[in-house]
Parts: sequence; structure tokens; C-alpha cells
Amino acid sequence: MRALVIDDSRAMRRIVSGILEGLGYEVQQAGHGREGLDVLDGGWLPDLVCVDWNMPVMDGLQFVSAVRSNPAWRQVTIMMVTSESEHTQIVRALAAGAHEYMIKPFTADAFRDKLALLGMLPEEVAL
Amino acid sequence: MTGFAGSHGDSGERRRRSDASPVITELIDEATVQGIAEEAWSALVGDEEFLVPLPGGLPDDAVSSWVEIVGPWNGAVVLTTGRSTAKELTRCLLAEHAPPVLDDEDVEDAMGELANVVGGNVKAVLPGPSVLGLPEVGTAPEPGLPADTCRVDLLWRGQSLTITVQGSAGVLDEQKNGVPL
Repeated sequence: MRALVIDDSRAMRRIVSGILEGLGYEVQQAGHGREGLDVLDGGWLPDLVCVDWNMPVMDGLQFVSAVRSNPAWRQVTIMMVTSESEHTQIVRALAAGAHEYMIKPFTADAFRDKLALLGMLPEEVAL
Repeated sequence: MTGFAGSHGDSGERRRRSDASPVITELIDEATVQGIAEEAWSALVGDEEFLVPLPGGLPDDAVSSWVEIVGPWNGAVVLTTGRSTAKELTRCLLAEHAPPVLDDEDVEDAMGELANVVGGNVKAVLPGPSVLGLPEVGTAPEPGLPADTCRVDLLWRGQSLTITVQGSAGVLDEQKNGVPL
């Protein structure tokens, strides 16, 4: 399975990518939404995108809207991973087309639980 | 002020008070800020990592990271600690994902992310809607009045670390003077 991790924090990209790679994901990283779209435009289609909200150039909400406006990317599962924790923000992200919402800070176990909820744990890990 | 208002009728004081942004001490207390920080530390730095609420002197080479909050309350959430402590924090944050040698960018990035996480959760308990800025690292912005500052002095692994939720100096000057800047 493939995952794209989009966050302007290099530390957070490393942490999230590390968890996903530990689960067997092939991971690519991007520093903001525009870079993330470039990865998709380049033909590398992930099963899962983990995207931060507040980023320079293109924020996570704009990224989600852009992905959802392209039918070719309809099957991509999107999880927002952000410190934006107000209910209104969560509603906005889900309305824009995100499937799940992970509030920072989180533990690796909590992250894996979210993936399980999404049915995005690789089969050999989920068993 | 009462005598002034009495001699001039409407001094505008009541209007300015009701229009003024709230000060942070009316919105959040030290225990809440510390609780948010402890949750961030436990999840990101390590589940055996504790923040002890004791004041300690910051070293001369202290570095700050912060995020600004713009909304009904305007200001910043600022983390300040010594450079060696910031480096140690970075290594804990990255854990097994840390590169063999940490460069300055790694440390600034990690400090910025800690400010982002603490700031985002502080924003959540303030009146909204508010906008969270991107993390910045360097010399912290000047705080406003003490009444608009909530400061928590902590020790992590025996080293000083402060978290301040501080009102914007510019906004406070405007309130203080009653004149838009």
C-alpha cells in the first residue's frame, strides 16, 4: 500500500512516515499541499494521504478540495493530521472530503487505531 | 477614572471596555496551559517524560518557537528553552526517526512543531473563530501587558522551559491608548 504524508514540519513527516513504513506502507512526503498535488499529478497514486491543515503555499483544506474535485483521485483515502482541534474545523474538513481527522498530539497507537477505523491497516497487520 | 467620567458624562470608557478584546487571564489559566503541554509531551516527547511546574532560570542562549493566534483574542503561544534542551527535545520527538546528526534546521523544525501543537490546543479553548499562524522560531515577539500574559514555568529533565500565552503588544497598545494604530 502507498501513503503520501503532507506536512510542513519535517519532524512530523518523519514521525508519520515512520509509523506508516513500520506498517508496510511505501511512503512519499510533501512539504505543503501544492507539492502533494504535484505527486498525484505525476502519477504516483497513494491509497492514503495524511495531510496537515496549516501549511504555507497550499493548506490542507485546499488540498482536500482539490483532490476531491478530480474524479481520477476519488478512491484516495484522506486523513487530516492537525493541531486544529475545534469541532467546527473538523466539520469543515470532513465536509470538504476528508475521511478521518487525527488531532495532534497523538501516539503511534492512536494513529494505528485511526487507520484501523478507516480499514487502512495492511491485511497482515490487521490480523 | 470615575471622577473623569462624572465630570464629562460619557467619557467613552464603558464603550471601549465592552469593545476591547478580552485579556488572556480571563480566558485560560496556568493549569490549563500546563495540562495541554503535558499532553503534548506525553504523546510526542515520550510517555515517561514529565513537566515539573517549577521555575528555573533560562540560559543566555535560549531559543523560542511560537505560533500566533488571531481572533477575538490576539497574541502568541511561545515556548522558550535553552538550545541544548531544544536539541534534546528534538532527539526525543524524532526518536528512532532522528538522523544520526541533528542540524539546526531539525531543531528549529521540531521546536516549531511543539509550539504548533501546544498553540493549536490553546486556540481550541479560546473563543473563536480564530486563525492559527505558521510556527516561527527565533527571538520571541515582545509580550503585551502582564495582565494579558499567562506564563507557565516548567522543568523538563531538570532544564528550564517556559510557555507563555501572551497578548499582542500592538493590540494592547491600541486598547491602552484607545486610539487605533
